Amino acid sequence: MSAVDSATGAASSSKPEQNGQNGQNGGREDPGGFKLKFCTVCASNQNRSMEGHLRLSLANYPVISFGTGSLVRLPGPSITQPNVYKFNETSYDSIYRELEAKDPRLYRANGLLNMLGRNRQVKWGPERWQDWQIGMPRTKHKDDKGADGMEGGVADVVITCEERCWDAVIDDLLNRGSPLNRPVHVINIDIKDNHEEASVGGRAIVDLADSLNKIATEEREKVGADAFDSGSVGARSGFDERVPDVLAEWQERWPNLPATWTLAWF
Amino acid sequence: MASPVKMPPTTSEQLQQLNNARKMAFESPAYFKQIITGIFPLTSMSAPVELRRWAAEFIAEALACPALRTQEKDDLTITVIDGGALRALVEDPKQDPLVLKAGIMAAASAYPVVVRWIVSNAYHPETWMTMTAIKSRIFSVWDGAPTPVKLCCIKFVQRVILAQTASNGTEPKHSGLDVNLNMITPNQNLLDPRSLEPEAIGLLDRMLGGLQDNNSDVLIVDATLNTLSILVRTRPATSSRIINAVLNFNPLKLANSPMTPKNKVIIKSMMKTTLMLLGNILRRDPDNPLASRISSQHQRLMRARDEIFNEANRKRALPEQTAAGYGDAKRQKTEAAAAPQPPLRIQPLAPGPHTLAEVFSLTNNPGLHGFDVTVVPAPLTARINVRTLASLDQGQLDLAINGVRDRITALYAAAPAVPPVPVLVPGTATAQLAPANSDPAALGLVDDDDDYEPDLYTAAEDTEQILNKLDNAPPEAPPEQPAEPLALGPFRLPPPPVLNPDTAAKVSQITAMRIFGPLAGLEDPLVRKPKAGLNRLAANSHDRDSWLTLITRLATRSTMGLEDDIKTETDATALGRPQMSLGNLIREMLFNYVLEDWRRRIEVAVAWCCEEWYNDQLAKRAELEAPLNYERCALRLMDGFLSYITAQDKVLIRFLAEIPQLSKELLGRLKGLCSDPSTVKLAMTSLLYLVMMKPPAKELALDTVYEIWLEYEDARGLAEKYLRTYRPGFAGAQAAADGASSGNGSQAMTA
Repeated sequence: MSAVDSATGAASSSKPEQNGQNGQNGGREDPGGFKLKFCTVCASNQNRSMEGHLRLSLANYPVISFGTGSLVRLPGPSITQPNVYKFNETSYDSIYRELEAKDPRLYRANGLLNMLGRNRQVKWGPERWQDWQIGMPRTKHKDDKGADGMEGGVADVVITCEERCWDAVIDDLLNRGSPLNRPVHVINIDIKDNHEEASVGGRAIVDLADSLNKIATEEREKVGADAFDSGSVGARSGFDERVPDVLAEWQERWPNLPATWTLAWF
Repeated sequence: MASPVKMPPTTSEQLQQLNNARKMAFESPAYFKQIITGIFPLTSMSAPVELRRWAAEFIAEALACPALRTQEKDDLTITVIDGGALRALVEDPKQDPLVLKAGIMAAASAYPVVVRWIVSNAYHPETWMTMTAIKSRIFSVWDGAPTPVKLCCIKFVQRVILAQTASNGTEPKHSGLDVNLNMITPNQNLLDPRSLEPEAIGLLDRMLGGLQDNNSDVLIVDATLNTLSILVRTRPATSSRIINAVLNFNPLKLANSPMTPKNKVIIKSMMKTTLMLLGNILRRDPDNPLASRISSQHQRLMRARDEIFNEANRKRALPEQTAAGYGDAKRQKTEAAAAPQPPLRIQPLAPGPHTLAEVFSLTNNPGLHGFDVTVVPAPLTARINVRTLASLDQGQLDLAINGVRDRITALYAAAPAVPPVPVLVPGTATAQLAPANSDPAALGLVDDDDDYEPDLYTAAEDTEQILNKLDNAPPEAPPEQPAEPLALGPFRLPPPPVLNPDTAAKVSQITAMRIFGPLAGLEDPLVRKPKAGLNRLAANSHDRDSWLTLITRLATRSTMGLEDDIKTETDATALGRPQMSLGNLIREMLFNYVLEDWRRRIEVAVAWCCEEWYNDQLAKRAELEAPLNYERCALRLMDGFLSYITAQDKVLIRFLAEIPQLSKELLGRLKGLCSDPSTVKLAMTSLLYLVMMKPPAKELALDTVYEIWLEYEDARGLAEKYLRTYRPGFAGAQAAADGASSGNGSQAMTA
C-alpha cells in the first residue's frame, strides 16, 4: 500500500552518519526517496524475522518485527527442555545473559548466543504479533534498528517466515475486523528455522523488498491522472496490482522459498 | 504547523517540515487537529501533487489513529468533513489515484464516526450532507476506478454496511466497528433505518458481486474476502448472504489455465485467502447453521490445494537434508557420536597378593587407579552410580561381573591356605559370592569369556572341588596375612551416642514445642458442632478441639507409670538442673497456652482437668505409685486465673462448676478474692452456684462460706445470708454465739 510518506527517505538521508555506520556493518548507501514500510514475522521473533529485520534495516527500510507463537521458545539442552520466555517482557539481553550463565559452551555451539547477541543490537526484546496495537504510534522504539519511518505504527508489507505464521497473521487480522481501513500485503516466505536458512531467507527478503519498493516508487513517480495513459503497461497500473507479478518473478529467482500472498486489511 | 501555509520555497522542504509535524503528532495526538486544520489548503487541486498526497495520507492516518480518544476522534472527523477537505480529495475527476485512494480510506474511517455523531447532533444537517455527497461520489467511482482505488471503495462499502446493519454486539468496542443500525433511533430526521438497511444489503450484494462474477482479479477477491469475517460474525443480517457467496466462489477456476508463475501466485493467494476466511468463520462460529457446508468446502479446498501445490508444500526429502552437510541446527549435537565401544577386556590378575581394590579395578589407566574415590562426596557418588547403572549396557556389566568373579576364584585357588571362615561370615562380600560360585556357568568358566585364561594358574581347579576343599578346611581363626584382604570384617554401624537425661530432656522439650506448633494454624470451627456427648470420638477431625484433646491426653497419660523412674534419675543427676518428664513439659506448655488467653480457653482448662482427674483415678485403681496431678494442676490453674481476675469474669463460676472435683484447698483460693471488695461478689456467687447446683460440693462450699464469714468483714453480709438460707443450724448457732460473746467479734475472727 502506498499511504507512505515520501519523505521517510529524506528523513533518513538527513542522517548521513547513521548511514555511514550501516555501511560499515554491511548495510548499503541510502539512495533516499520513497520507502515501503515492512514488518517481519516468525514464530519467536528470534531467528528468521530478526534476520529479516536486521537486513531490511541495513538496507535502510523502515521495519518492525514480531513473533506469532504463544511464547518465545529457544532450543535447550534436549528437545524436551526448551528455554521458554514471555513475549514483550523479556529482553534479548537478559535471555543472552541467562543462557550464557546456564551453559556457555552449548549455547555458543548451537549459535543461540550469537543470534541473541545480534538481536540485542537490533531492538530491546521479542514482541508478539497478537499483542501489537496496530496503528499505535511507536514513539518508544526510537533506538530500534529500522525504527526511522515506523512512527505511525503501521506497515505496507508484512513478511512472514512460515506458513503457520502467515495463517496466524491473517486469522488475527480477520479477528481484529480491520478498524484502520488500511490495505496491507501479507506475504509468506517459507524459511526453515535454522541459522543458515535464515541467512539465505534474509537475503531473499531484501531482494523482495527492493523489488516491491521499486514498483511503489514507480507508482509515486507518475503524477496526475494524465500520466495514467502514458508509459508502459506495467508502469500504468498501481503498486498493488503489480505485487503478484513481482512475487512471481521473485519466486523464479528463489525457487526453494515457496511464497504465499494476500491483500489484507489493518 | 502554520509554516506549510506560508509556502516555503521548495516542495521537498515543505515535506520535511510536514514530516516533523507528523512525528510531533505521534508523540502527542493532541497535535493532530492543529496540523489537520493547517493542511486544509494542501487538499485543493491547486496544491502540488506531492503535498496533496501527503495531506490525504496524513488525514487517512489521523482519522484511523487508535491513539485518539473517541471524543478527540469525533472532533477531528467532523473538522475534516465540515472543512470540506475530504470532499475536495475525492470530488475532482482528475484527482491523482494515490490521493483518491487515501481520501477513500479516510472516508471509510470517517463514515461510522459521522453516523454516530449525527445520531446525537441531528441539528447539523450540513455535516451529514457532506458525508452523503462523499459517499455517493465513492459509489460512482467504484466501478470505473483503477484497481488500487477500487480496493479502498470495497473497504469503504464494508464500513457503510457495518454502520447500516444491526449488530449482535460481539465486535470490539471503541474501534468504530461497533457503530451499527441499533444506534439509530427511529425518529431521526436525517437517518432513516428503513432506508439505511436496504441500502446496506444492496451494497453488500454489489460487493459480493466481485466474487459471484467469478472475477479473476485477485486483488479484488482477496480484498473482499478479507473484509467479510467481521460482517459474518457481528452482522447477522449479512451472514448467510456472505457465506453463500463465498461457498459459491471457486478460487481454483484458474487452475486449468497455463500454470505461469504469476497464475500460480494468484491461484494460491485466492485459495489460501478463501481457506483462511472459511476457517476463521468455522472457529469463531462453530454453531453456524451453514457450518457443515463451510466445513466440507474447507476440506475440499484443502485437498485441492494439496493436489495442485503438492511439491511446494512437501517438506524437503531426507536425502537432500543429509546432502546439505549439516543436520537440523536446532538438534545439532555438540559432540561427535560415540564410536562403538570395543568389548570389555578384563585382565586377569598377576599371581601374588592383591588388595580388594585391585580385584575390582577394571581399568588399566594408572591415573584412574590412583584416584581416591573417597574424596567424592557420598551423595554425588550415589548419583553417579545410579546414573551409570541405569545407562549401563547389560552385556558389558555381565562381562565385568564375570571377570571380577574369575579373579576372585583364581585368587582363592592360588591361596589354598586361606581358611574358609571368612567365606562363612554372614554379611561379607565373599559370602555373597559363595552361592554364585556354586554355578560354574555363572562363574564365567564357560567358554564365552575369552579373557579367562585358567592355564596361567597352577591351582586352577573345578569350582566344586574348591568349595569342597574350603568346606573341609579346619575352622581355625584366620591368621593375618596379605592374601586375606578379600575377607571383609562384619560391618557394624557405629553405636548411637548414649542418651543422657540432659539430652533426653532437651529433645523432649523440642518435641513438646512441636506439638503445640499446629495450634496456631488451627482455628475454631466456624460452626460449633453439637456435642456428641459420651459417644463422641476424642479426635476425629483436624481442628483445634481435636488437637487439644490429643495434647491433653499426651500430657496426662503418655508417661503414666514411668514418671517415678525419671524422678529418681533426675535426683541422681547431680547437675542440679531441674528436669521434667515429657508429660510435665507438655503440662507446662499447656498451662501457658491456657493462661495466654484464659477467658476464652477456660474450656481447654476444664478439659485438661477432666483428663488429669480421670488419669489419677486410673492410677489409683491400678495402684501405681505415680504422682497424682489433678489437684496440683487445678490449683495452679486457679492461681493463674485469680491473678488476672476482675469482677466481670463469670468464667470462674463455669470453671469451678465444670471441673470434676473440688477440694477445700481449691475453694480456699476463693477466700483471697474476698479481700478485694470488687471481687467479693464474684467469689460469693461462685460459691452460691456450687451450693445450689453441685450437691456433692455443697457442704464443702458452705464450709468455705462459713470461713469467709469468719474472716472477711466485706463479705460477711452475703455470707451470712447464704448460711442462713442453706445451713439450717447456722441461725441458731449464730444467735447462741451472739449471746455468748457479744462485743467480742475480733476473737471470732481470729478463730
